[in-house]
Amino acid sequence: MPIRLLALLALTLAPAMPAIAQSGDPERGEVISFTCSGCHGIPFYKNVYPSYSVPRIAGQSEGYIIAALKAYRSGARTHATMQAQANTLTDQDIADIAAYFVSLAEESE
Amino acid sequence: MKHIVHFVAATSLLLVAGLVEASGNPSRGQELSSQVCASCHGVDGAMALAEEYPILAGQHRDYLVMALKAYRSGARDHAVMSSFARNLSDQDIDDLAVWFSRQDGLGELTFD
Repeated sequence: MPIRLLALLALTLAPAMPAIAQSGDPERGEVISFTCSGCHGIPFYKNVYPSYSVPRIAGQSEGYIIAALKAYRSGARTHATMQAQANTLTDQDIADIAAYFVSLAEESE
Repeated sequence: MKHIVHFVAATSLLLVAGLVEASGNPSRGQELSSQVCASCHGVDGAMALAEEYPILAGQHRDYLVMALKAYRSGARDHAVMSSFARNLSDQDIDDLAVWFSRQDGLGELTFD
């Protein structure tokens, strides 16, 4: 009975666990994140229509980068360019990109 | 000549200060942050209570304004943020954004 209960608990909790446990590979992240630099690698680069600054990412939490990319992918966040980018990414891609950004920020400290 | 330079410099500073002030009151933002945002983001936005929460300190002011308005309108769908943003006026959002943007935190990413 306790084992059944445990199994039930695991099944219930598993989908709710954040995907952060999945560890990212920064070297792979570097290869697939080349398109990001076109906007996020240019200081004070502006989004157009509407106009606002592209967000700063250096120093951002790894978990938030993952959550934001997944929100663009699912459509919970709408932004034409970011959705187009995120739609091409797997969970592993997203984890790798986040790991690479964190490694970049650590380098520049 | 020196006086003119000083005058122009002082006037420019006042103009810049006026522009910044017009788009948000940082001390009111600080107060509002301590009431609404601090428990998850820290008063200065430099802390993330949970792994998936963002650092706000040092983020671009205009990006923060856009993001908060998107949570408020529902264009960004996030249960927690939408419920907080729903109660914010445009002035609240401007004040919070200028406050967080002036704190030490995020920086520009330099790609290799």
